[in-house]
Amino acid sequence: MYHIHYILDYFIIFVEYRLILAKRMLFNKKGSLIGAVLAVTIGILVIHVNFVIFQGLFDAIVRDISDYRNGDILVTDDADYIDKSDLSIVSWFERIPYVQGATPRLSSSAEMNMTKNGKLIEETRIPLVGIDPFRDIKASTVHETVSEGNYVFSRNSIVLGSNVAKDLGGAEVGDSIKVLVVDRVGEDQIRRFTVSGIAKSPGGQGFDYTAVIHIDTLRDMMGRPGDTSSFMVKLNDPSKALELKEFFLQSFPNDDFLAETIEESAEEQLAGFRSGIAMISMIGYFGMMSSAFAILTIQMMLVNGKTKEIGIMRAIGAKRKDILIIFIFQGMIIGAIGAGVGTAAGLGYTFYAKETKMSFNNSLPLEVSYNWEKIIQTALTSFALAIIASLYPSYRATKLLPVEAMRNV
Amino acid sequence: MSKVLEINNVSKIYGEGDSKVTALDNASLSIEHGEVVLIVGSSGSGKSTLLNMIGLLDRPSNGKILIDGIDTTTLNDDQISSFRNKKLGFIFQFSNLLADLSVLENVLLPRQIGGTNHTAEKEARDLLKAVGLEDQMHKRANKISGGQAQRVAIARGLINKPSIVLADEPTGNLDSVTSETIVQLMKSMAKKLNQTFIIVTHDRPHFGVVDKVITIKDGKAFEGEQPSEMEVFA
Repeated sequence: MYHIHYILDYFIIFVEYRLILAKRMLFNKKGSLIGAVLAVTIGILVIHVNFVIFQGLFDAIVRDISDYRNGDILVTDDADYIDKSDLSIVSWFERIPYVQGATPRLSSSAEMNMTKNGKLIEETRIPLVGIDPFRDIKASTVHETVSEGNYVFSRNSIVLGSNVAKDLGGAEVGDSIKVLVVDRVGEDQIRRFTVSGIAKSPGGQGFDYTAVIHIDTLRDMMGRPGDTSSFMVKLNDPSKALELKEFFLQSFPNDDFLAETIEESAEEQLAGFRSGIAMISMIGYFGMMSSAFAILTIQMMLVNGKTKEIGIMRAIGAKRKDILIIFIFQGMIIGAIGAGVGTAAGLGYTFYAKETKMSFNNSLPLEVSYNWEKIIQTALTSFALAIIASLYPSYRATKLLPVEAMRNV
Repeated sequence: MSKVLEINNVSKIYGEGDSKVTALDNASLSIEHGEVVLIVGSSGSGKSTLLNMIGLLDRPSNGKILIDGIDTTTLNDDQISSFRNKKLGFIFQFSNLLADLSVLENVLLPRQIGGTNHTAEKEARDLLKAVGLEDQMHKRANKISGGQAQRVAIARGLINKPSIVLADEPTGNLDSVTSETIVQLMKSMAKKLNQTFIIVTHDRPHFGVVDKVITIKDGKAFEGEQPSEMEVFA
């Protein structure tokens, strides 16, 4: 027991004086300390701000695509249409406890016209989506984007995306619209609808450029009774999407279903963002490298300013490694304080962005999250960079010969 | 008395070819344990070079330096550092304390560098008391006067009970009254602790009677006081 105490005591004494000296030398040069800490802090803050904005934007787009269009799993078919009954597919999914909802959708395009103020306005090639009004609201939040009026509620009601409404000369709730769809045998099918609502989503990822009608009406018009383009499946726990997708495909081995998670189904739309985020992250890390150069410069100044002290310490018996450790400790102190302050500032900004529901371009609310893995990785990277940046100045300090250093004494 | 220091034919040559300067030329001397020795000589004579050699702050070009019978010229850099820490104490002319530490911490530093600290704080306090600074222990080293700083340096030089304390112009930066105090303090500590002091000084008269005087002239060491040198000092 005595020996353990002795060894511990020896260790503390052995390390402690160098740590104390490192701390004192640093804290007595407050300007240098503040400069070095700020360099680390700013490096970390840049990465946090980048993350909040660009990752938040990316996640917001993923969220909206998932909420409005693709769900967590999107089921389609090799042939463009699924002819299995809605009920069987939806029931299959909804018996799984972590499935929030599943809904069929049928896609087409249409020509539309309406008379506004005595003037006939026609628009062609408008995306048209057929939805099941009862199931859709369980699996999607697109109905929440209807800013005026109501979502589709009857066979002859239509919801227009805000841009479609605008293109039709400012269609409003209650207006009558003629819709033309070409059926499966190439004949025009025309029906009249009443506008029940106008959809406008923040960020424009919703049905802003689309018209929405009842799925059965669209099936009738297309001559495809019982057909579906896709099933959108929303989960309570999106992390189970891959597992459920595999399970679904295994359960229907004789069908030509395609099932994709949101990452897969939205890959095309997200690929550009991914590379953009990677580039922004690179810029952040380059910023961190600049911080490391700032630390290196500041520490070189500290070493040059402590020539006499190094000489005195060497004269009274400090070894090269003692001097090395003192200055590396300084790098560690700068790194630790910088990482702490930078992370705190970054978390503060993230908290602010989350609480104020920060939005991109004043429209798309960012999906702000605390990515602890990334936060810890950033803090540790900056801490490590501060230590690495202190290696060269520390090495330079050890190269001072006592007799040279003492000339100044 | 046993020999604490033996210097055999030590030379120090700086530069090469035409720019070669012989700072120390075949110097030989020996010092007994407990002696107070003054090294005197004119500026540029080689006094500080000799002190740097004895203090292992610089390596001789030729010759051997034995401290406590150990040939220091065979030691590597780490061994020299440990040797300096354990066997040698240093007092410099000025600015010889670490301004970032307190008076007490400065005295403790050689012991902490050596890694043995069981009774260090008590010994440091006793030494500071002995040099009359018990009330200044917790002051920052840059907040005390020059004379007080030299007294702290004496305490720091003695903390590891070294074989030799080396003092390079310890009164060079002090007024005559303070110089007298420092000289008397060093002499009394030497007597009290039976401590060897080797002091380089221009201030020969202040030191009065000492055990030995070594005069350096043109890089050569002579035991005793050269009349010509004394005239220079007068």
